[in-house]
Amino acid sequence: MSMFAVVRKQLKSHPALIPLFVFIGGGATMSMMYLARLGLRNPDVCWDRKNNPEPWNKMAPTDQYKFYTVNMDYSKLKKQGPDF
Amino acid sequence: MAHPSQLGFQDAASPVMEELLHFHDHALMIVFMISTLVLYIIIAMVTTDLTNKYILDSQEIEVIWTVLPGLILILIALPSLRILYLMDEINDPHLTIKAMGHQWYWSYEYTDYEELGFDSYMIPTQDLSPGQFRLLETDHRMVVPSESPVRVLVSAEDVLHSWAVPALGVKMDAVPGRLNQTAFVASRSGVYYGQCSEICGANHSFMPIVVEAVPLEHFENWSSLMLEDA
Repeated sequence: MSMFAVVRKQLKSHPALIPLFVFIGGGATMSMMYLARLGLRNPDVCWDRKNNPEPWNKMAPTDQYKFYTVNMDYSKLKKQGPDF
Repeated sequence: MAHPSQLGFQDAASPVMEELLHFHDHALMIVFMISTLVLYIIIAMVTTDLTNKYILDSQEIEVIWTVLPGLILILIALPSLRILYLMDEINDPHLTIKAMGHQWYWSYEYTDYEELGFDSYMIPTQDLSPGQFRLLETDHRMVVPSESPVRVLVSAEDVLHSWAVPALGVKMDAVPGRLNQTAFVASRSGVYYGQCSEICGANHSFMPIVVEAVPLEHFENWSSLMLEDA
């Protein structure tokens, strides 16, 4: 049997372990999702050297790059540096 | 600044430090409750007259002592992450100051409008006036306007240092060749002390940081006076 089927069978006789799987599984899922977000959305990461070689040069003051903003309203910001 | 035999944080002088204080209270309360519970259980186990003390199996209690710690951890993590992201936000600073770490002093540059720069050496113990604090006072203080967002760009000219002011909730490593940014708002006027927080040689303990927050007009007078003296 596959590993999942074995675990499911064992869980039936020890249902108290289900919360353990929920919390550990939830924690692992959340951390993997954050890693994926970092890999795909972080402007420091370059996947396509031909079409998008330096994504960190295309940052706009109105974009939000952080996962969570408490007080900042990025849509109101204006670019302060010179164009190059 | 800190007082002798102090156990807790210094009074907060910036909104970020207030948040940190409240989060510390929250987390410490949870820690005290858990520790008290554990201590009670230990004492109860050790002082009981009962002879059958060991439960061999119980599904209900296993669920409880898996779910409850998980919930407690989430209760700690959510405010913690909120403060983490809050501390990274730089809300349109009115002033930018460069703090450069040297062996073994700090130098501050105010270059937004004019070229103002000065060094900040610790006052040696034998030169202190009565009432001044040993190993904390400097000859020139970093003066900032109170209630204004200030951005500090921290770097170093030789080895690693770290610019820290606990009352403002600020600490940022000074790395040679790298520019690190931090910001704070001094909620009230006052003098705030800090010390270099990264080992940097013989006099690492003797290069303190003093931030003096003053109302804006006093700041303008001070910067004009400093520019004349230069």
